[in-house]
Amino acid sequence: MTKEEYIKAAIDSMIKGDEKLAVSVMNDAIADGVDAAELLSEGFSAGIREVGDQFGRGRMFLPELMLAADAMKAVSAIVEEEISKKGGTAEKKGTMVLATVQGDVHDIGKGIVASLIKTQGVKVIDLGRDVPAADIVEKAVECGADLIGTSALLTTTMGEMKVLEELLKEKGLKNKFKTLVGGAPVTERFAKRIGADAYGEDASQAVAEVARLLS
Amino acid sequence: MSEFFTRLGDGAAVMMSKEDIRYDVEDGTADAADRGQIPELAKEEVDYLVEILTMPQKNVSVKRGHEGIMTFDAGTLKLPVRAGIPVDRLATLMIHERILCSDTMELCTTDYSYKSIKNFVQEEAMTMELAQNNCVMPIFYGAMPNLGQYTKPDGPIDNWSELLPMGKIAEAREAQEEAVEHAVSDMVFITGQMAEAGACGIQFDTVGASGDADVLAALMAAKELKKRFPNIGIEMGMAGEFNLGMHGQLEFEGERIAGAYPHQQVKMAEKAGVDIFGCVVNTNSNQTFAWNLARALTYAKACVAAAEIPVVVDAGMGVGGVTNTNTTPTDVTSRVSKALLEIAKVDGL
Repeated sequence: MTKEEYIKAAIDSMIKGDEKLAVSVMNDAIADGVDAAELLSEGFSAGIREVGDQFGRGRMFLPELMLAADAMKAVSAIVEEEISKKGGTAEKKGTMVLATVQGDVHDIGKGIVASLIKTQGVKVIDLGRDVPAADIVEKAVECGADLIGTSALLTTTMGEMKVLEELLKEKGLKNKFKTLVGGAPVTERFAKRIGADAYGEDASQAVAEVARLLS
Repeated sequence: MSEFFTRLGDGAAVMMSKEDIRYDVEDGTADAADRGQIPELAKEEVDYLVEILTMPQKNVSVKRGHEGIMTFDAGTLKLPVRAGIPVDRLATLMIHERILCSDTMELCTTDYSYKSIKNFVQEEAMTMELAQNNCVMPIFYGAMPNLGQYTKPDGPIDNWSELLPMGKIAEAREAQEEAVEHAVSDMVFITGQMAEAGACGIQFDTVGASGDADVLAALMAAKELKKRFPNIGIEMGMAGEFNLGMHGQLEFEGERIAGAYPHQQVKMAEKAGVDIFGCVVNTNSNQTFAWNLARALTYAKACVAAAEIPVVVDAGMGVGGVTNTNTTPTDVTSRVSKALLEIAKVDGL
């Protein structure tokens, strides 16, 4: 198969959420001399973005999204192994602490974001929902996180994101952690206003922003 | 006037040109049409919506003859809980009937889930009876199916939100199916108690908040209730413009529930015996008010066209084109009301 055919097959394996197929495509491509990192980025990542888009349109559903995420994790592991075989090191990964802010119990969206970010090789420590800002900061310090992600579904709870930013400044930790915010009422303008480092409108954008912040 | 006062989806005030407003209206209706596979608003409807959005008045109103029914879901939470006014629920109902001119109203409690209400349903039934004795308008009882409440540690069933990320898809699906049985049983039981207390109807609110199984539970409960209490009104208000597929394979009367948009949701509701359908379209905080309202109108219009039962559109904070702000601006809500009633031809709000 040509590289273009492998890319198409990689996208197809993500849409089908077929881990065996995804692994087989990746292994065959490597055997044919296709660059694994390129196939991951142009094929499998494009495929999972398509799955995310179809999920957002109600044409694919959560179980299919989870299957695709699992398949993505499997091929990411192969790429890392391939890079280390060649004596290189995998692209810089990191650790992210993720939580739904205090007073807010909505965490379906946050769970989806966590699953997709994990597929990028980032270690995600999900603190759950209704988490006070102080607990988030404490955990981030404890595990040496690179990123703190917070989610809010309510206009009444999104102010907790500002509390987190202020707490980080107060403790002199603002430059130690990058912050990412998201959730239905949150906007890019709000993120800038409170001093967050990034904003994710949906899971796909959150993944892209995490990659940008860690690069 | 070259620029007009309008808002962004999060309520922030902005000035925009008529051309920019029109662009967002066209983009919003195209987005809804593409996602829902439904027709875009017609050119004359786009023109009229732009006219509504650029009217110089702060608040606008419907033309005489286009008035709609006004009701409130989470009804008795609005004044005493959200506005913090120290009035009891009966006083709240009477204020809505006699001052705020509500046509119908929902009696509800802060534990807004059928599972929780089981524990104090007799007290709720007494309040319903008192309300019926003091009000003329039809009073419904309402709460959410809220399937998540049946999962551990609140309930007996494994949490599918934890099972899914572990890859235990079959187990997650089984857990949701089990929760449906509990939820149907609770909704039917509570409606029975309320029917005996004289309730004019039952409202299933924010249906689908826990995914497609949540929708199935409400549909099955409605079907059973129509058999047991044929005279009680059933209203079903949704959680979003499409049913989230947490399970993905559930069907009602041969139709897949997940992914259904308002014009499809209403047909399922009709088959279940629902009498009034509550169409919900979520607001995108990042887009403009014009974009969001055009999008909401497109879905609502298709829903009304498909429906054989009355359609009311949820036009509160963060839905129906209304901005995502705690206190919704009247320049927004009055324009949403006018557009939904005059363009989408909805029966009420």
